[in-house]
Amino acid sequence: MPLYGTFDITQSPARLPTLPNLDTEAWALPKAEMMQLLMEVPRSSTEGLLPKAMHPALPSYVALAVTRYADSPVGPFNLAMLRLGSRAGAHPRGFLLGAVASTDAAALELRARWGIPVQAGEVKFLRRHDRVTGSVRLEGQTILDCALVDPQPVAGSDVQYINWVTAANAPLDGTTQPMLIQIDPKYTFHKAERGKPQVNAFDAAAWNAPTIELSDPIVGTCCTVDTDLPRIRFVMDPLKPVFQGTRRIRESRADE
Amino acid sequence: MKFGLFYEISIPRPWTPEKERTVYNNCLEQVKLADTLGFEHVWAVEHHFLEEYSHCSAPELFLTACAVLTTNIKVGHGIVVCVPEFNHPIKIAEKTATLDILSGGRLHVGTGRSATWTELGGFRANPDTTKKSWDEFVRCLPKMWMQETFAYQGEFWSMPERTILPKPYQKPHPPMWVAVTSPGTEIDAADRGLGSLGLSFAGFDEQEKKIKEYRRRIRHCEPVGAFVNEQVATTNFLFCHEDEKTGVEMGKKLGNTFNYLATQLISTREVFSSPSYQSLGLLPALRRAATGPDASEQQTEGMAYGDPARIIRAIRKWESLGVDCVNFILNANEVVPQDQVMASLRLFAKEVMPHFAQKPQTAAAAAAE
Repeated sequence: MPLYGTFDITQSPARLPTLPNLDTEAWALPKAEMMQLLMEVPRSSTEGLLPKAMHPALPSYVALAVTRYADSPVGPFNLAMLRLGSRAGAHPRGFLLGAVASTDAAALELRARWGIPVQAGEVKFLRRHDRVTGSVRLEGQTILDCALVDPQPVAGSDVQYINWVTAANAPLDGTTQPMLIQIDPKYTFHKAERGKPQVNAFDAAAWNAPTIELSDPIVGTCCTVDTDLPRIRFVMDPLKPVFQGTRRIRESRADE
Repeated sequence: MKFGLFYEISIPRPWTPEKERTVYNNCLEQVKLADTLGFEHVWAVEHHFLEEYSHCSAPELFLTACAVLTTNIKVGHGIVVCVPEFNHPIKIAEKTATLDILSGGRLHVGTGRSATWTELGGFRANPDTTKKSWDEFVRCLPKMWMQETFAYQGEFWSMPERTILPKPYQKPHPPMWVAVTSPGTEIDAADRGLGSLGLSFAGFDEQEKKIKEYRRRIRHCEPVGAFVNEQVATTNFLFCHEDEKTGVEMGKKLGNTFNYLATQLISTREVFSSPSYQSLGLLPALRRAATGPDASEQQTEGMAYGDPARIIRAIRKWESLGVDCVNFILNANEVVPQDQVMASLRLFAKEVMPHFAQKPQTAAAAAAE
């Protein structure tokens, strides 16, 4: 059967975000501009990063995403993320390895509401005609400098965004415990472009993924979308295969 | 109604030389038996890098072995990838012609373009252009087989005038097919006069729509070859057992395992945004069916497992929709022991095939005794 991850998140709960409950309301995030660069990475460099419950994507790949959220309940903010391509049972997912938000308020809320492993830093998103660039600085150090080069229009229907999974502590059945949480935003596309990914600087350790090495670029996209961060619907046992350890805690998203 | 075998050649970890050889030998043993039982086709995929799911990267070699070991069963590329980074068209024409000769004119040539990033990225092929290169290849192949000399200048490949040798044993040339997974490919098949080699496990309603559209359009087609190959084949799982419950349980295990392995593949659309890959192909249906390798939920309708009576009912339904041929996947990750695969084939030939038989199946039933 397919390979499994080897990361036991229950061994280091203090490293994980902690949610006071699993009942956050949804956030509407209109007119977000999302740049996503997909890069293959050597399989050996992902060793120990994926929870035991999940399957690695083969070949291994990561998504570097820099997004400008024009509006949110905590005001405008930028968010950069590193996600590892994977499978939750039969479903493609991006496991969140690290994230940086451009405001303290956004970082605080994203950690506490959805368990996103985010810290506050400087996140820049710039759209130009010849490229879209993203850069991230933490404590004065550049940890990401990347671009989507030569963006060309494509249809929104050409683009597929994969749902996310994050590891966090949250209360369930009376105990706060490590678990995997699915985050499944929706997207309504207003504009979509595709181009070549370019990464000029990437500090893997700063993204909680010290072994990751970027290798072959796959493709980059930059899309303007109405999106959201929905209510949490599914949580997963971090040690059981997802097809055995998934629990639905809410029947549907609030808008379904 | 005709019946065939369909091989992905799925091999479970840990991979050892003996295990790879055993699985290949199991497949060949099944094909030899199927030949005596009256099965019409053996198809083999071309896949690369698809761990556990398919270790069938050199189907022409496997099919050559099949041809040499059998006398009647037709051997089919299901499919050969028509993307220049994978296969040069001259080599495709040469190798298929050779296989047709070695098999005594039993070759069918399925064509396609690959659906996974794992494969396209592995060969550094451009997903945007695979439909175009497929079209160019299928237009050229019949000419390369039939014309004494051939020269070509196209977008994806070219050659000065040469004599491509050998020529196929079948005249004017082997029947041609295209793999149909993405919606709309059945139209591509019909418009070019190609057989529709269905590789998805879609339910009755969806298949019926596709078949109707295929039959309607192929009447007015401009065939790429010297003749129209109007045939609709579909893929199914087979496990036939005297006891319905045992048959269904093992059949589900086979289906669940196959589906779960398939859902691990990285579809092109998952990572490479391209107008050429707007559909996820067969993956959405498989993901709905594959909640896990031990899933107990009802699978897609029309699966050919259970006792003979149940399987007959399923195939009757496919027949009523206009399917000409059902190709069976017999195993995935070797979850069905080889002796049970062989017993299932024998029972199917004895109890099921006669219900769909013209002349050949009478002999098949006798051979199964």
